[in-house]
Amino acid sequence: MVRGWKAVLAVAGLAVLGAVPSVTLAQDNMQSDSMKKDDAMQDGMKHDAMKHDDMAPDKNAKALFTGTFHGKVHSTSGRATVYQGTDGKRILRLTHFKTSNGPDVHVILVATRDAKDDANFLSGNVERIELGKLKGNEGDQNYELPESVDLSKFQTVSIYCERFNANFGAAALAKF
Amino acid sequence: MNTNQRSWISRNKWIFAAIALPVLAVAWWEFRPEKLFINEKVSEAAPFAASGEAQPVYTGVLEGKAHPTSGRATIYQSPDGKNYLRLSDFATSNGPDVHVVLLKADEKAVGGVAATGELDKVELGSLKGNQGDQNYDLPAATDLNKYQTVAIYCERFHVIFGTSQLEKF
Repeated sequence: MVRGWKAVLAVAGLAVLGAVPSVTLAQDNMQSDSMKKDDAMQDGMKHDAMKHDDMAPDKNAKALFTGTFHGKVHSTSGRATVYQGTDGKRILRLTHFKTSNGPDVHVILVATRDAKDDANFLSGNVERIELGKLKGNEGDQNYELPESVDLSKFQTVSIYCERFNANFGAAALAKF
Repeated sequence: MNTNQRSWISRNKWIFAAIALPVLAVAWWEFRPEKLFINEKVSEAAPFAASGEAQPVYTGVLEGKAHPTSGRATIYQSPDGKNYLRLSDFATSNGPDVHVVLLKADEKAVGGVAATGELDKVELGSLKGNQGDQNYDLPAATDLNKYQTVAIYCERFHVIFGTSQLEKF
């Protein structure tokens, strides 16, 4: 009996020993990947900022809608505001934002007044619009809105984990 | 029996290891448990240049208490540091001697309707109109960390028509 348990322990130990380096390797890869992405993003932003500079700053960007986040699956806080520039482009900006980190987290708009009814929202019957991967789980960040989005219909911003179909937190947008 | 089992396990431990490895790897990829301890902080600039105009610093939605009240209350800060309160899309019921005041968020009267006794308030002035957009200057000494509730307050009857909890913009 005793030897049998030892064998099981040995197998488990080997498995862990084998898994750890592969995990750290994979993690390293992931990190450099996201670093690259960040660089690319920052470059993109710089270019964007440059463009704005060239075009003279958009002083008349107006806040259209705003709302505060409440946590659902994970505590989430901060503000979501939709701005519209003079060129008509709309941008969702998250400020004082904080949520928990997680795998495959996205920012989406949901066609509901407030994502309080998780069951309804997660069932897939509710229309949603993808705004992109969550850039960071903390801090100010911007997401461009597709031109055709009807904000009288899509009134809720959700921080949504695609992999586990989990609503981290949501903000109901109200007219500013 | 036991001897056979033991030897079977020890003979095939590499198969176990070979199975356990990808299983653990997939489990890690799915759950990414290390993300519980790693934060990704970003700080993007606003998509537009901060204009020379007043910027919103606090905002909240108005809710009816004694009378249906709706709209938005926003505190703007001018470049010169002056603050003012703006009510937009505003509507409440008309009434006698109605004032706009700031209250502490933990003010008891905020929860109920009738405000009994002396209210710890910052007076912003008589309500200019029961409908429409309007601005009220804030006294320079107003501590917005304390007084974060806008109330439409009828002095004569000590009744709070509606309130708005301000939150950072």
